[in-house]
Amino acid sequence: MSDSTPHGFHSTGAEGPAIGQDEWVARHADVRFLPARFAVVERRLRGVPWWAWLTLFVAVFCLFPIVEPSGYVRQVAFQTVLYMLLALGLNVVVGWGGLLDLGYVAFYGIGAYAYALLDSPHYGIHLPTLVSVPLIVLIGALAGLVLGLPSWRLTGDYLAIVTLFFLQLFQTVTTNWQNVTGGPFGILNIDPFGLPGGHKLQPEHGGVFAVSYLYVALAFFVVVFVALRLLNNSRTGRAWRSLREDPLAAEAMGMPVNWLKLLAFSCGAAVAALTGSMYAALFGNVFPLSFYFVTLITVYTMVILGGSGNQAGVVLGALIISPLLEVLRDADKSRVLFFVALVGGLVVLGRRNRRIAVVAGATLVFGFVLHAIARMIDGRWVAGHPGAGSFARFVEHWVIAPEQPARWIAPAAYVGVIGAALLCTVLRGIVRDVALVPTIYLGAFVWENVMLAKPEPARYIVLGVILIVLMVIRPNGLLGERRVEIV
Amino acid sequence: MKKAFVLALAVLATSVVAASAQGSQTASARSLASFNCSKTITLPFVTPITGGAGFLGAEQMSWAKYAVKTLAPGLKLKVKLVGGDTPVEQGPAPAQTLAQKYIGTPSVLAVLGPSTSGAVAASTKAYASAKIAHISPSATRTTLTKTVGGTFDGSNAFFRDVPGDYIQGPSDANFMVNSLHVKKVVIMDFQEPYSLGLASAVDGTLKAKGVSTIRLSAPNTTTDYSAYVTKVPSDADIVFFPTQKPGDAQTFAQQLIEQGKKAKVFGGDGSNNAAEFKQPGSYVSNFAPDITGIPADAKIIAGWKKDNPGKAVGSFGPPSYGAVQIALTAISRACKAGGGSTTRQAVFRTFKKVSIKNWILGGSFKWSTKSNDPLNAKFYIFQIQSNGSYKLVG
Amino acid sequence: MDQFIQLTVDGLTLGSVYALIALGYTLVYGVLKLLNFAHGDVFMVGTFAGFGVLQALGGPATPKVPIWLVITLVTLAAMAVCAALGVVIERFAYRPLRDAPRIAPLISALGVSFFLANSMQLLFGATPRNYDLFQYHGGSLYLRGLHIGGVTVPLLRIITIVAAFVLMVILWFLVNKTRTGKAMRATSFDREAAAMMGIDIDRVIVFTFILGSALAGAAGVMFSLRVPTNVSIGFIAGLKGFIAAVIGGIGSIPGAMAGGLILGFLESYIQGYVHGAHIPDGTQWSDLYVFSVLIALMLFRHQGLFGRPDIRKV
Repeated sequence: MSDSTPHGFHSTGAEGPAIGQDEWVARHADVRFLPARFAVVERRLRGVPWWAWLTLFVAVFCLFPIVEPSGYVRQVAFQTVLYMLLALGLNVVVGWGGLLDLGYVAFYGIGAYAYALLDSPHYGIHLPTLVSVPLIVLIGALAGLVLGLPSWRLTGDYLAIVTLFFLQLFQTVTTNWQNVTGGPFGILNIDPFGLPGGHKLQPEHGGVFAVSYLYVALAFFVVVFVALRLLNNSRTGRAWRSLREDPLAAEAMGMPVNWLKLLAFSCGAAVAALTGSMYAALFGNVFPLSFYFVTLITVYTMVILGGSGNQAGVVLGALIISPLLEVLRDADKSRVLFFVALVGGLVVLGRRNRRIAVVAGATLVFGFVLHAIARMIDGRWVAGHPGAGSFARFVEHWVIAPEQPARWIAPAAYVGVIGAALLCTVLRGIVRDVALVPTIYLGAFVWENVMLAKPEPARYIVLGVILIVLMVIRPNGLLGERRVEIV
Repeated sequence: MKKAFVLALAVLATSVVAASAQGSQTASARSLASFNCSKTITLPFVTPITGGAGFLGAEQMSWAKYAVKTLAPGLKLKVKLVGGDTPVEQGPAPAQTLAQKYIGTPSVLAVLGPSTSGAVAASTKAYASAKIAHISPSATRTTLTKTVGGTFDGSNAFFRDVPGDYIQGPSDANFMVNSLHVKKVVIMDFQEPYSLGLASAVDGTLKAKGVSTIRLSAPNTTTDYSAYVTKVPSDADIVFFPTQKPGDAQTFAQQLIEQGKKAKVFGGDGSNNAAEFKQPGSYVSNFAPDITGIPADAKIIAGWKKDNPGKAVGSFGPPSYGAVQIALTAISRACKAGGGSTTRQAVFRTFKKVSIKNWILGGSFKWSTKSNDPLNAKFYIFQIQSNGSYKLVG
Repeated sequence: MDQFIQLTVDGLTLGSVYALIALGYTLVYGVLKLLNFAHGDVFMVGTFAGFGVLQALGGPATPKVPIWLVITLVTLAAMAVCAALGVVIERFAYRPLRDAPRIAPLISALGVSFFLANSMQLLFGATPRNYDLFQYHGGSLYLRGLHIGGVTVPLLRIITIVAAFVLMVILWFLVNKTRTGKAMRATSFDREAAAMMGIDIDRVIVFTFILGSALAGAAGVMFSLRVPTNVSIGFIAGLKGFIAAVIGGIGSIPGAMAGGLILGFLESYIQGYVHGAHIPDGTQWSDLYVFSVLIALMLFRHQGLFGRPDIRKV
């Protein structure tokens, strides 16, 4: 984490480089995140070692279930920890090794199925957890090795195709090899984790998710985080960095480039397999479709959002995306989320451009006016979709929500808003500001009427949009470092 | 410095999730927690509303909505229907998350669904631990209403108001042997629980009667069945095609004709859709006769059609209406017995005591004593006529 | 023997569709060195666009114009819609990333693919759409055709094969005999040198995307003439197209055509003939066999059949 520098935040009023110090170094060393007033605070905070931050984070996370006893929220927290682990593993492959591994969740599935086979009534084997979990990590590493071998000489694009097909193959094998994997029926009644001494951790009490699993997951998370960080700060990590920056130069310097790639692959696979075993142990069932394309894109979004190559970043990415996906299942919460995001986006844009405040105000007025006109024309045009809660009622007065919209409205509005948004990225100046007003309103209309009606695809559309926008605007994500590829 | 930001955001994120919390009762107490029946009851319906089987969920939700709208006032209940989406592309895992969500919602007394057998298998243990009865209008895998040993012991929280594969399979097979006098049958499955279960049931019965069977297996995502049609022997009489996508049954029937095979397509209840599967000469089996032919249902159908203009009455919808009816009746009875308030456990216990006189699928509804299935359920076999209509033949 | 003919015809039909999809991939890879993951979903949008036009023209049972005109119009409409979609995707998702590290447009492509598939599901639902051309004149498109041996090759399959062939010929002509085609080939050889020679790279790339996406649209219509389509086919179709392009050598146009046909035949024969007591059954496990072939190819000739080996200048 010390290898990344915040982008776009330049120091103001530095006194100049110290004697003997390079100007570029000084400029970057003097970068501040907060305004100059808090310089002392910032310097103190920077001095705090990374493990202290980690401890603080884990402590907060541990306190969380005590504050919130709802089984659902705890389960989402557990899933978030699983995603954090997956993101850490993918970070090794994509961020540190620079390999585009599109078959990553197949290793997740391999870990889950391996645990299911070793600790369930399926074959009647019930290995103690202390034996099966390390075994699964080993299996994962071996699987990574095996998949990595054919890609020995493959460049990034070919590797992507081969790994993608491996994912498809994993799906085919688990679905068809019924004798071994249970086929589409999956494997059920998998044993939960057991502590040494025989006591088994129950996944749930009276149907509600048990907290002990969350702690176990956090423990694994800490172990993996620390282990990977140590690995990154060692010779291997430095070798990976050089491999990433310029593979040709690295090879010329005598680095075993292919072995390094294989190592990255294996490490990522091992972490994924470990996470798979936790998944199987808690949920008690594994099915082929849980480890497919959708999971892959979700983990990738987390890694990209957080910043590939930066451990804290990918954890942050997981922390943002996982609860986000859950919140988006619910129409009322999604509505709030949309408007918060909208206002947040306008504020961020407004820091550079004061006119945005005018645009926001104009959109507000525009909305109310349009709503009033629509209501005068035909009451049914604004009669639909009563949400729950006071915020929903407020929005009802602003957004036009027809009761039974004609079938062509949804596709037309959707395509319209995309076209308008794309157009706004091309326009400049006052024309753009004027165009933004109907675009924003149309966006709210589409969100309310089209996307909230079908939250499932809407969730994934949000993911896809995040990926595209991130890549175009800020490919290094939130905390990653900006890479310059030397051609 | 970034780390501080990271931590701050992390704390913020976790507190956001915390703030969106639902309920704060402890686990075990909730199944016995008293619920005041005059408050709004949340009735979740776990079904694939989007995704490859989205037409199933959409149809079931529309009928459930209509049932809640028409039945709840009569039973003096305030009911809110919510949909829990389990797209089939994601397998049964989302059902488990949704189970947690609904278990944690105090206003949930019973659950509709899950509609797919795999999702039921994944989530029924959680519901059973939480003593929430859940009733599905379409999950037909045999083992779901029988415990692992094959016997029923009353602890199973899963109910269904349609008969399982153990009825449909032999019933279809017997029809093929007795009425169609088949000698050779090709049985297809689509590598997912519904078709595999049904295919095995039919296969077993046919083999026991001395019919020679050939098994073919296609991935669920197949759209072009040419290669499979090639493997259908030219002397096969029937291809048993338990798909959940009626359009695929139609495609297969057309490709059989294209390649000059004489076999006819025999679909399960999943292919019951006159608009999409209309190849004359094919067969369809379903757990209900076409309800438009039942006079007692005319009012219900008319009301549903008014709320859903332009939509046709399918085969998955009416059992959903029935499931809502059973669930609300159970809740209402438990509320009355509890003097205005009830618990999840009480509703669970009342479920098995419910019987309905004018059952939407015809006749009356009673539970079987041997499992959480309807008593004396039977399957109806239709043959598609040259004008595309379904004629009852068995 | 009959089975062999049937399987060959199946393979040819499948292969034609795969070849068209693979061509789109190869064209884009040639000029941009980008694997356009969204291509499969553009294909899917093409099938839906064709469906819409088919319904507008009166549907399969009662078309308002002669059937050959219906099919032509449907194909052209799908090609136009997909070409427009391809241009928009290129302009907003790929062009800003032209100088970014190679991984960036790939991730963006993944995002676009996900976005397209879910948007179509949001707007049009998950119900399959069936062109159902069987309804035309009682199935004459299925029943009439060429007779080879004991097998009838239906008109519909002949249309698919012939249309794909015609499109490939047109493409070959465009790429080899026109100036823009020459510019395309130059750009795929060395983009910077081409720019220095005065070629407008942006226009060439837009032209490439128009071509590639139009081919995807045509492939979509050819595909859905006989089988139903739904919003989820993009992923699998894209994957198959990928494999085909890689088998033939990605970046090479004859390679894509050959690769597509080879993949079609491979799948067809494996599904038809591989059937034994101790080996995995061909119909269920065709993916496994194709994967083995692919791995073997990657190990021994990773540039594919027609591709150029990668020579990197230091």
